[in-house]
Amino acid sequence: MELLSMKVCLSGEMMTTVRLATGGVCSCAGLDLDASEDCKLCVTESILLLRNSGYRMVCITFEEGEDMAVRVTGCELGRPAEKAGEDEISFALLEALAEDVTTEKEGDRLSAVGFRFKHGR
Amino acid sequence: MDDKELFARYKETGDPAIRNAIVEKYLYIASLLAKKFVGRGVEYDDLFQVAALALIKGVERFDESKGLQFSTFITPTITGEIKNYFRDHSRLVHLPRKVSELRAAIKKETELLLAETGKKPTAKELASRLGVSEEDVVRAAEAGGVVSLDRPVDSEEGMSFYDVIPAEDDAFEQFENRDAVRASLQALSETERKLVACRFEEELSQAETAKRMGVSQMYVSRMERKILEKLRENFKKSTVQ
Repeated sequence: MELLSMKVCLSGEMMTTVRLATGGVCSCAGLDLDASEDCKLCVTESILLLRNSGYRMVCITFEEGEDMAVRVTGCELGRPAEKAGEDEISFALLEALAEDVTTEKEGDRLSAVGFRFKHGR
Repeated sequence: MDDKELFARYKETGDPAIRNAIVEKYLYIASLLAKKFVGRGVEYDDLFQVAALALIKGVERFDESKGLQFSTFITPTITGEIKNYFRDHSRLVHLPRKVSELRAAIKKETELLLAETGKKPTAKELASRLGVSEEDVVRAAEAGGVVSLDRPVDSEEGMSFYDVIPAEDDAFEQFENRDAVRASLQALSETERKLVACRFEEELSQAETAKRMGVSQMYVSRMERKILEKLRENFKKSTVQ
């Protein structure tokens, strides 16, 4: 069941909105506080990765099933891709905090990041 | 010298200078990760310290021959240490890890036993299945979860736990202390009581007290020491009774 889907412009000011919305969805899905904070961090990291790939807008979808599944997809290109040295750390952080981290590419460009969080129900 | 060589050389020589060079090179990861976890109730400086210690431990454990990049290896290591730190030091009152784990195991085992036998297991059965003592099972079951201070104590009064937790400066305790001091003072001579009044009620210095009482400062000092010993003894006796 889809809990929330939103299309967000990747400006710094929108990050707080994304984090707040993520926290709200996590609470609805029954994630505990720690998992909820981890989920916020993973959503932020995914957005950073997609921004470095050249996207200026992303779609974030939260789905509830056995776990809570999150998918962040780049949906509008509009900025030069950056080869950021911190991408590797972002991927490792995602792997450390979430489960079943998946990535999709269009050519060489990263286009989507997905991961799951177990909820406490 | 590249990373592989650096780690190989460190493993070979154990030279702290090489270890320090590696730590300094990757300290930015500790800082970066610490920043990402800011805002969860622990200061950045504390997080950075935890992350830096994890980095040092990670340098010791890293095996360069496995072909993994050090940054890929160290990120989950540092993240794990930071999360452990949150679990143990965050502002919420958490149960000790051992108790939390036992509670989770009890819950799981209860469900399994219920499905197997059709009845709720006893503490003894759970203890035997989990390989712990019965007392541990009972204590873990009683431990409860995290409780909010804002949770209402009862529905009628509208009071929260915070409202009913006694303050540190308990009025009854103060009253009892004052009563005990008054009783102890009764056991002093008139001169001694006068000295106590000058020194502890009027808060005069020893020199001022000496002048007021027409004695030397040395005399006040000696007498004060004796009085305090006497009061301490009386206090002890009254507490034992």
